[in-house]
Amino acid sequence: MSTKLKSYHLDKLIAFVGDDPDAIKNMVGIFLHTTPELLETINESYKQKQPEQMAKAAHSLKPTLDVFGVDSVYDVIRKIEQKAKNATLDDELAGLINTLNGVLETVFEQLKKAFVN
Amino acid sequence: MDAFRIFIVEDDMLYGEMLRHHLALNPDNEVHLYNNGEECLKNLYREPSMVSLDYSLPDMSGLDVMRRIKKEHPEIPVIIVSGQEDISTAVTLLREGAYDYFVKDDDVKDRLWNVIKKIRENLQLRSEISYLKEEIGRKYEFRNVIKGNSPSIKQIFSLIEKSIKTNISVSITGETGTGKELVAKAIHYNSNRAKKPFVAVNVSAVPRELIESEMFGHEKGSFTGATTRKIGKFEQAIGGTIFLDEVAEMDLNMQTKLLRVIQERELTRVGGNDLIKIDVRLIVATNRILSDEVKKGNFREDLYYRLLGLPIELPPLRYRGNDIILLAKYFVDEFCQENKMKKLSITESAQQKLMKYHFPGNVRELRAIIELAAVLTDTDKVDESHISFNSVDAAGNLLMEENTLAEYTRQIITYYLQKYNNNVLLVAKKLDIGKSTIYRMIKEKQIIT
Ligand SMILES: Nc1ncnc2c1ncn2[C@@H]1O[C@H](COP(=O)(O)OP(=O)(O)OP(=O)(O)O)[C@@H](O)[C@H]1O
Ligand SMILES: [Mg+2]
Repeated sequence: MSTKLKSYHLDKLIAFVGDDPDAIKNMVGIFLHTTPELLETINESYKQKQPEQMAKAAHSLKPTLDVFGVDSVYDVIRKIEQKAKNATLDDELAGLINTLNGVLETVFEQLKKAFVN
Repeated sequence: MDAFRIFIVEDDMLYGEMLRHHLALNPDNEVHLYNNGEECLKNLYREPSMVSLDYSLPDMSGLDVMRRIKKEHPEIPVIIVSGQEDISTAVTLLREGAYDYFVKDDDVKDRLWNVIKKIRENLQLRSEISYLKEEIGRKYEFRNVIKGNSPSIKQIFSLIEKSIKTNISVSITGETGTGKELVAKAIHYNSNRAKKPFVAVNVSAVPRELIESEMFGHEKGSFTGATTRKIGKFEQAIGGTIFLDEVAEMDLNMQTKLLRVIQERELTRVGGNDLIKIDVRLIVATNRILSDEVKKGNFREDLYYRLLGLPIELPPLRYRGNDIILLAKYFVDEFCQENKMKKLSITESAQQKLMKYHFPGNVRELRAIIELAAVLTDTDKVDESHISFNSVDAAGNLLMEENTLAEYTRQIITYYLQKYNNNVLLVAKKLDIGKSTIYRMIKEKQIIT
């Protein structure tokens, strides 16, 4: 785990808000506050078979993940949104969600380590 | 320029914060973040310079929010930021007046930054244009109101221009109807006090015992009938201009009080104790010669000098040459327009008739004559038969033209013969000339009876 590469990068965020540690910290805080909720919604709506809700949550998550440079799920989150929109709640979707869960868990951990002491 | 106020309406907290932070990097931007449409609409009174609107909001769609913004403030640029590309939505939004539409992708901050730059430049340009317009208005507006081209009125224009630049008191003299009030208003509305009140007091119209309270106000119960506090004209005019019309009619007692207020720049209301600071510009008018009134002892000399300031003497209309025709045309056009009539022209002979008249009532009289003529004509022309003077002052009229003595004599005799029903004996007696002279002139057809 400790040797694992960073699953995110903040280049875009820095480009956005400037090289301002306080601002970055603030944004990371918001990210850590809002993203788990959206992820939870995606998981729940899969279980409850509510593709509309899932589409919405995925839609919101998409730009956030872009900004935090979680590049490994760039395609994953888009596919999830597409499938949810088409209401195809199949096994492939389950696999995509799984991947997303795994990656984001790592991201949360790494971010907490780096920013929350 | 004021702060550039940006509203961000974004329910995605992170994205909203990011945008806010990003845009606040420019210290000239004042950024407000709202999480839903209602919040944004509630805050429109802050008059944002632009709104960046997320298309999908929890309480209403971005389109609805935009429509409501546009309804009240069509001038505010609204940029729609959406989570996804959707051409048909984009087209609808742009058609409904969105300034721009873009998707939340990597480019969003640059695009937003560029759009904001563009909006700022436009805004700057617009405010420069309106400033220029204001400047032009400042310079020329009174020329659109006070008509005239004659040298004598041009001289008045240059005096008005001078008086506009400062707060100097102005005293306007001129016969009745020469435009004294018009000039007073022109000065005020072209001066830097234009946005503050112009308050006129016609001194001769206020009963002598009420003039002080009219001008300076009174406290409740200060005299019988003073049931409430009254704010006087001077106080109403604070920051602006007070116009004392027919100031020569003011009695000496009131003149003393006025002098004190002007000197001290403060007043007390009748029956009151408080000193109230007064910053008002003073313009006075009279159709008497104030210096004569001073000589006669009717007007305080010290007040006279206080009020004199920049004197503007309006020439009688009869000395304004071709302005008579210029004004006649202006009044006839104005009258036709106001009454939705088709345009009327003034015939050459009618113009000549006007030019010969001496207009004791000046511009006001000319306007009345022209309006009557416009009503009387059945064609699209005003000719001399429609122009009638009801001035009682025939002698003044007579002297308008430069004539030989013989011609004056002829006109005078004609006038008297008309007046006394061609009674030659009576006219000869009145004019103290021989009746044979009159008979001879009639015989020689110098005089048509
Ligand atoms: N130069 C002008 N151009 C256009 N309208 C004018 C001009 N001068 C006067 N008027 C018009 O003539 C009328 C009389 O003007 P105003 O009331 O200003 O005259 P006044 O000198 O104050 O007269 P009074 O001494 O009788 O109070 C108004 O309707 C005014 O608009
Ligand atoms: Mg007047």
